[in-house]
Amino acid sequence: MVRYFIKRLGMMLIALFLIILVTFVIMHSIPGGPFTSDRNVSKEVEEALNEKYHLNDPLPKQFFDYVGNLLHGDFGPSYRFTGKTVNDFIANGFPVSAKLGGVTILFVILASIPMGILAAIKNGKWQDMLVMAVATIGVTIPSFVIASILIYIFSFRMGALPSFGLDSWKGYVLPVITLGGYSISYLARQMRSSLLEVMGQDYIRTARAKGLSEPKIIIRHALRNAMIPVITVLGPTVANLLTGSFVVEKIFAVPGLGVHFVNSVTMRDYTTIMGVTIFYATFLLAMVFIVDVFYCLIDPRIKYD
Amino acid sequence: MENKWEMLESSNEEREKIWRLNRTFAGDVWFRFRRKPTAIAGFVIILLLLFFALAGPAFTDYSYSAQNLEVVNIPPRMTVYDAPDGSGYLYITQALKVVWVNRDGTLGSQLKKVREDSEHSMTIYDCKGTEVGLYYGFKPYVMVDPETRVIFSSQKIWNQSYVLGTDSLGRDILTRLMYGTRVSLLVAFVAVLVNLVIGIIFGGISGYAGGTVDAVMMRIVDIISTIPLTLYVILIMVILGTGLKSIIIALGTVYWVDMARVVRGQVLSLKNQEFVLAARTIGSSVKTILMQHLIPNAMGSILVTVTMLIPSAIFMEAFLGFLGIGLQPPLASLGTMCNDATENLRSCPHQLFIPALVICLIMFAFNFVGDGLRDALDPKLKK
Amino acid sequence: MEPILKIENLKTSFMTSNGEVQAVRGVSLTVGKGEILGIVGESGSGKSVTAMSVLRLLSDTARIKEGTITFKGQDLIKMPKKELRGIRGEKISMIFQDPMSSLNPLIPVGRQVEEMIREHDPDRRKEEVKKDVLELFEKVRIPEPEKRYGCFPHEFSGGMRQRVMIAMALANKPDLLIADEPTTALDVTIQDQILRQLRELEKEYGTSIIFITHDLGVVAELCDRVAVMYGGLIMEEAPIDDIFEKTGHPYTMGLLASVPDMDQDKEIRLQSIPGSPPDMTNPPKGCPFAPRCPYARQLCASELPDFVQVGEGHRSRCFLRYSDAPADANNPFRK
Repeated sequence: MVRYFIKRLGMMLIALFLIILVTFVIMHSIPGGPFTSDRNVSKEVEEALNEKYHLNDPLPKQFFDYVGNLLHGDFGPSYRFTGKTVNDFIANGFPVSAKLGGVTILFVILASIPMGILAAIKNGKWQDMLVMAVATIGVTIPSFVIASILIYIFSFRMGALPSFGLDSWKGYVLPVITLGGYSISYLARQMRSSLLEVMGQDYIRTARAKGLSEPKIIIRHALRNAMIPVITVLGPTVANLLTGSFVVEKIFAVPGLGVHFVNSVTMRDYTTIMGVTIFYATFLLAMVFIVDVFYCLIDPRIKYD
Repeated sequence: MENKWEMLESSNEEREKIWRLNRTFAGDVWFRFRRKPTAIAGFVIILLLLFFALAGPAFTDYSYSAQNLEVVNIPPRMTVYDAPDGSGYLYITQALKVVWVNRDGTLGSQLKKVREDSEHSMTIYDCKGTEVGLYYGFKPYVMVDPETRVIFSSQKIWNQSYVLGTDSLGRDILTRLMYGTRVSLLVAFVAVLVNLVIGIIFGGISGYAGGTVDAVMMRIVDIISTIPLTLYVILIMVILGTGLKSIIIALGTVYWVDMARVVRGQVLSLKNQEFVLAARTIGSSVKTILMQHLIPNAMGSILVTVTMLIPSAIFMEAFLGFLGIGLQPPLASLGTMCNDATENLRSCPHQLFIPALVICLIMFAFNFVGDGLRDALDPKLKK
Repeated sequence: MEPILKIENLKTSFMTSNGEVQAVRGVSLTVGKGEILGIVGESGSGKSVTAMSVLRLLSDTARIKEGTITFKGQDLIKMPKKELRGIRGEKISMIFQDPMSSLNPLIPVGRQVEEMIREHDPDRRKEEVKKDVLELFEKVRIPEPEKRYGCFPHEFSGGMRQRVMIAMALANKPDLLIADEPTTALDVTIQDQILRQLRELEKEYGTSIIFITHDLGVVAELCDRVAVMYGGLIMEEAPIDDIFEKTGHPYTMGLLASVPDMDQDKEIRLQSIPGSPPDMTNPPKGCPFAPRCPYARQLCASELPDFVQVGEGHRSRCFLRYSDAPADANNPFRK
């Protein structure tokens, strides 16, 4: 098992290195450099800026300097906001995003798994139809549409919940639903189909032949087995929440990292784009790794594969 | 029965009869697809949307980019006031202008402002020689007779000039919707086509070659699949700049990983089957085997992946459009239309809900068709 | 012999999208105390469905439409689910065909057997139950039971898993054991060991066994009595010796002919019955075997024959055993 994890870890480090390399190359291949597009920057000023940000060094040197700084946790300065560093953006934005994301993922797990179990147990009955209808809507309607509808109904029409900010628990309700909507639906569908498949397995028949009651069969024999494929999609779910946060933070005016990222894209703040991309990628890979470890712990078969 | 002890003649054919209807593979798929009402509904919706997007602009008098600042933010259903002479109606815009509306519900031009009567919180307009007042003392604003201050009688009528209303620049939403749907579908189809080609080539080679080549190629795929797609697409958009071509390139190169995996899996499972061995024994070339035997057999699962990729691509395009890193105005896509409408959500919700509805329709339709196809193509379900 | 289980006129169907599949169309059987009854037939003949109907372990699409299954004076079909659960595993237990999938892959095998005992006797102390399980493991010849107790099913071979299943099935010393093709998925050598074990255990516990198989060779080794099924019906039922020596039905003859006989020439050593089993959504109104039967008459295609008593405890469902059947060259029973 340890060997397996080391292998996974190694692959992730390679992936991370490639991501850094690719983002670096992409950012430095933009014709003319970051300051040429500014109208009011004179030749001399541009030269000075290039000097200041070491843009005149040969690219490989710049790259290794950058990677060296990354290893110290230094993402470098922002090109657009003088005096600000990319680390400032991450330090300000990430805690806000992480809190919203944490609440959402908790909500997602607590809502989707019971939904999926209910739908599977009541297979074909109205409870199943209801859950599946909600889940289908959740995976097909883009989050910004859901958010707009929610804001229109609950904020503008009813005035019950704020349409922006995270100042009180009320402020969390709409963003969390919007952000989690897709994942809840996706996980609920996964849970349902996974549990249905497990319930058709031979060992469930064995459990029935033992004389166990249905609730006991589900709790002791079916749930854990049905959870395994659901856990595998938890990693991508975190990724979905992350990118979903771009939209949600924009709509609900949450000052998180997602908004900073989108702003830096529209403002072409190259170092921030690069830094935040690498930060996101690292975070995601770490998440996928954690899910992997968890997966190995719950399924005894994996050790021997 | 006279002859009850006579020998029963039964042909071998009857004995070996397979107790199932015999259909061709395609016929079988179509039979099972047809029995899913959601799949058929999705299929019909896709056809209707295609017609709407491709043929629709031929039936409209407006262009997607022409702005008419006289009629800004007009909803499909308007509250109008009777004109004093009864020959038409008056409509108050959100910018507190008064627009003439003909009896049949088509829009005329803005009335000329005569003077401001701030003492009575009124703006006086000239309506065919008669003076009418727009009273803005409290909400809702109403049209009154400036002398008697009697409110004109009001009613709700449908907007006949702009069936779905206008946006914040006075453009016809219906027309923009047609072009938006066209762009969204175009982006999705082209992007998926590009993915398909890359995926088939990559997956086909990997699966067919096997061994080290396969291992290396799949390791590459593994590594790429750990990179979050959205980040990648956004980065590509940063380099290429916003615009239709960039979106297509960005989306076209992002989803092939799944496709490559599907194709490789199919090729791997198919290549050791007898008919491929047979083809190899009679000396067919690699290319023939690949094109004549493997790809057609793998087509089923590829088709399902394609129908599932299209909504993903539309989703992603709408996502980019909504974040403001998609198309450049005045070009419209469903995503940018939603984005443009968010500022006016409180007063003009229809501007957002209409394109949002179309996005949902497309998503539902393709998902249903994809589900239907997957079930229809899955031979395990055959009973 | 005192019957322990009595199945009468059992009819079980599956509701599918293509219509009702009549898998069992009126089966009556009895199992005596301490008896091993074999049910033989090709796949789709309804033998497994009959067995599953006893404990009502069929899938949701199945319906038991008619019949009674009497076990110790109670009708299992009408019995409330809760009461039936008390019988499952305690009085009647089952072994299934595929030992690979019949054990929960995420639970150590020892605990799965333990669960069987504790479910029906929840007050027993844990250590005591564990001791019982280890004893059972020893009895079914699982080497190093102490070490194997905590292992997961994937660490076992197919034969070992089936032994675990047998240990589980015998844990509560049931009155009846239903074994649904328990050796089909195993190697021939392992098959033999499992059969010998079943035989021993039957002797030791006095458990009656219903043994379902498509293999007449296995039946000959193990069973006291055999019922041959085809098309959802019993075609012939006889004591084990009669089946081989006084075969009473053309289908059984066909089955016997398809068991390779080493005494014969290579060319005719292995024979098969031409044709394929009937479509059970629309079963033939006559004898289901008629289209494949080399001796079939016009009558066979239009009417379903009743049972004819052809010997002590031996009955056969064939018109050619009727007293008015002509003794011509094409009647194998009247020569």
